[in-house]
Amino acid sequence: MDENARVSNEVVIKADGVDFSYRSGEYVSRGVTGINLEVRRGEFLVILGRNGSGKSTLAKLLNGFLIPDEGIVTVMGTDTADENKIYEVRSKVGMVFQNPDNQMVASVVENDVAFGPENLGIPRAEIEERVTEALETVGMSEYRKGSPNKLSGGQKQRIAIAAILAMRPDVVILDESTAMLDPKGRREIMDTVMNLNREKGMTVVLITHYMDEAIEADRIFVMNDGKITASGAPKDVFLNYDKVKAAGLELPVASKVSKALIEAGYDLPFAITDEELAKSICRLKQKI
Amino acid sequence: MKDITLGQYYPSDSFTHKMDARVKLVLVVAFIVAVFLAKNFLSYIAVAACVICATLVSRIPISKMLKSIKAIIMILIFTGILNLMFYNGETVYWSWWRFNVSLEGIIFSVKMVLRLVLLVMGTTLLTFTTTPTGITDGMESLMSPLKYIKVPVHDIAVIMSIALRFIPILSEEVDKIMMAQKARGASFDTGGLVSRAKALLPILIPLFVSAFRRADELALALDARCYNATPNRTRYQVMKFGWRDLAGVIGTAVFIVLVVALNNNFWGAYQSVEAAWWLFAV
Repeated sequence: MDENARVSNEVVIKADGVDFSYRSGEYVSRGVTGINLEVRRGEFLVILGRNGSGKSTLAKLLNGFLIPDEGIVTVMGTDTADENKIYEVRSKVGMVFQNPDNQMVASVVENDVAFGPENLGIPRAEIEERVTEALETVGMSEYRKGSPNKLSGGQKQRIAIAAILAMRPDVVILDESTAMLDPKGRREIMDTVMNLNREKGMTVVLITHYMDEAIEADRIFVMNDGKITASGAPKDVFLNYDKVKAAGLELPVASKVSKALIEAGYDLPFAITDEELAKSICRLKQKI
Repeated sequence: MKDITLGQYYPSDSFTHKMDARVKLVLVVAFIVAVFLAKNFLSYIAVAACVICATLVSRIPISKMLKSIKAIIMILIFTGILNLMFYNGETVYWSWWRFNVSLEGIIFSVKMVLRLVLLVMGTTLLTFTTTPTGITDGMESLMSPLKYIKVPVHDIAVIMSIALRFIPILSEEVDKIMMAQKARGASFDTGGLVSRAKALLPILIPLFVSAFRRADELALALDARCYNATPNRTRYQVMKFGWRDLAGVIGTAVFIVLVVALNNNFWGAYQSVEAAWWLFAV
């Protein structure tokens, strides 16, 4: 799909001057402050931050799990603070969580995927269609009648994504959905997410602390201490080493290498992917 | 990962496996009633024939069926002996203090044991041929009229389904915690009863903590999937009453009629055959 056609100007989620803090009795702990962000249709947006940076709080604000103390979050024009429309919001903004085991309700894969549409009162024939489509999208069709207990972490998480897709949301938020997986499982999820975004045009918001997952994003937001400290295209943000470092994050290997080379006086562009780095080094070699 | 089979489901593709779970549940209840209706050995034979027929169409191996009996062997022995000792019969063979062994007592305790054996065999056929999910779905469907008296049938069904889903997860977790505690020098199989029970405490506490954490996350996940969004929830799994179910109902009905019929001595017909009369009369 053409890059420009994929991301439209339509704003799906908009957060405007959002403050939120957790309260239990007298005790108030910081959540997030002064959050402004827009998620556009078809976009692959990554929110980066270390533990305790407020990134999961932000995620929960985007689908009405948490209601801002100050400011407003709207999902396609609907205020998440509107209690009567909360299910409308949640069916539009699907959320996948960290632990795949803790988000499955049925002992058979297809029943689990059907749970969301059932809750929405979708007619049976259409649920069938949706389950088939969702499982196909995540490449898990052959496990349809099986039990989730026998699957690997990555496979379970793909089922969890399918379960959200079956509700046909406008946006999928993955709240650290790769954090508990092994490298293979993480790769599976990232491939699924990229396929979802690039081929199906699904708007994806990925919350993570792995920098390498942010490389292919359209835009990234770096969070630190409850605030967005940097945002923009991955390359622009990564160029801002100091802010990335201040947020407790590390640049991808390719960026580190190219940064070191630039600092050593070589004339080559800043790279974020391994391919970019390899190409620019080759070019540099030809020049010499 | 461990593959824990829940309950005793025996995977197969038989006639009974393909039956509607609701029908099987109803038939099991009918069967239990039939077992209690049986009075004499002739009607017990009819019940036994019913169990044998059902086992044959379910293609459950005999060894599996016998295993279900093995599980209640202590209860059988206990019931048999107690009935034997305390029955107040007339033809007393042996007597000591309050214990009397009489002909009537022997016959009665044989009947009791037979009843229990048939009861267990018949009902385990349900769990052998129906997945726990199937049983849950069937129960939800059967209980659905209770919705009108404000029983949260669907919530109960979701709770049961989640419980089934989490049993293997939590049992795996117990294994992990036990290993972690063993690695720190805990011992679970030495010492007396009290010290063994105490050793379980360091397993239970982490297990509960993690179960509550899971419950928290699961609650969020249920919300994310719009649980309770609409009272007009639809069902993906549809249960169909098919020809097999009709056949099952008719078959069971025949046996129940047979049991009831054999309880009566129609026109003194049994007296003419000596063996039949004996089975009827004792």
